[in-house]
Amino acid sequence: MKRAVTFAIPSAMLVLLTGAAFAHHGWGSYDAAHPITVAGAILASKFENPHATITVKAADKTWTVTLAPVSRMSSRGATEKVVAVGQNVSAYGYPSTVQSDEMRAERITVDGKTYELR
Amino acid sequence: MTDGAPAIFLALEQSGFAIAVRQSPWLYPAANVGHIISLVFLAGALAVMDVRLLGGLAATAPGRLLARARTFAVVALAGMAVTGFVLFSAEASHLAVNPVFQMKIALVAAGLINVGIYELWARRAVEGLAPAAPMPTRAKVAGVVSLGIWITVAACGRSIAYF
Repeated sequence: MKRAVTFAIPSAMLVLLTGAAFAHHGWGSYDAAHPITVAGAILASKFENPHATITVKAADKTWTVTLAPVSRMSSRGATEKVVAVGQNVSAYGYPSTVQSDEMRAERITVDGKTYELR
Repeated sequence: MTDGAPAIFLALEQSGFAIAVRQSPWLYPAANVGHIISLVFLAGALAVMDVRLLGGLAATAPGRLLARARTFAVVALAGMAVTGFVLFSAEASHLAVNPVFQMKIALVAAGLINVGIYELWARRAVEGLAPAAPMPTRAKVAGVVSLGIWITVAACGRSIAYF
């Protein structure tokens, strides 16, 4: 019994850590039940890790749109030039449940071309 | 950037080093991978040490097994610190005010204090023991406390992004 307990503890630790290693930043703080589309000109663009972000002047307000990590952005074709200041973007995604002017984009469309970011 | 953060964290986030971490396509992901690999080694070494303190793996004398595992743990912890600093610098002003990050750092400190207490209070009672000898209570206490703290540190680390 004592032996079983002694080994159960590190086993639980391993399970926990394995789960940790495979998960990444979730979409948990975004409201996936109410997707929105934010469209407008890009006012600011940060092509940076851990996530690229753009500021978009939409009809209702100015949104911070969280995009993907830069390596994924580049591999999907959504390069720094695609999301540069002055471009018109349409971002489909989910509003943050924490910050009322932030959303996370599932996909963006620039110049008629759509880039999947998930 | 979070305006409420102490100036030192704002300065770190705006430093040339942190900017390079954010703008490099590979630095941040590399630090992320390095942090997890260090974590795997640290968790393995800690599991061996804590199980030995609790009386498991008793075929080997504790002094010998603990010394071997300790080397792994120290190197892995250094790896975690270095890669963790890189990850932290990129978002320092956010992380400094993140309650889960604060809890994680406090628990890391508690874990290191537990190591200190073990070294001063229990190590001598453990090191000379023969294989299969019963472990003193103080060693078991240090092992249980260590497991509890470091498991919670790992859980906190994973939870930072959700708060």
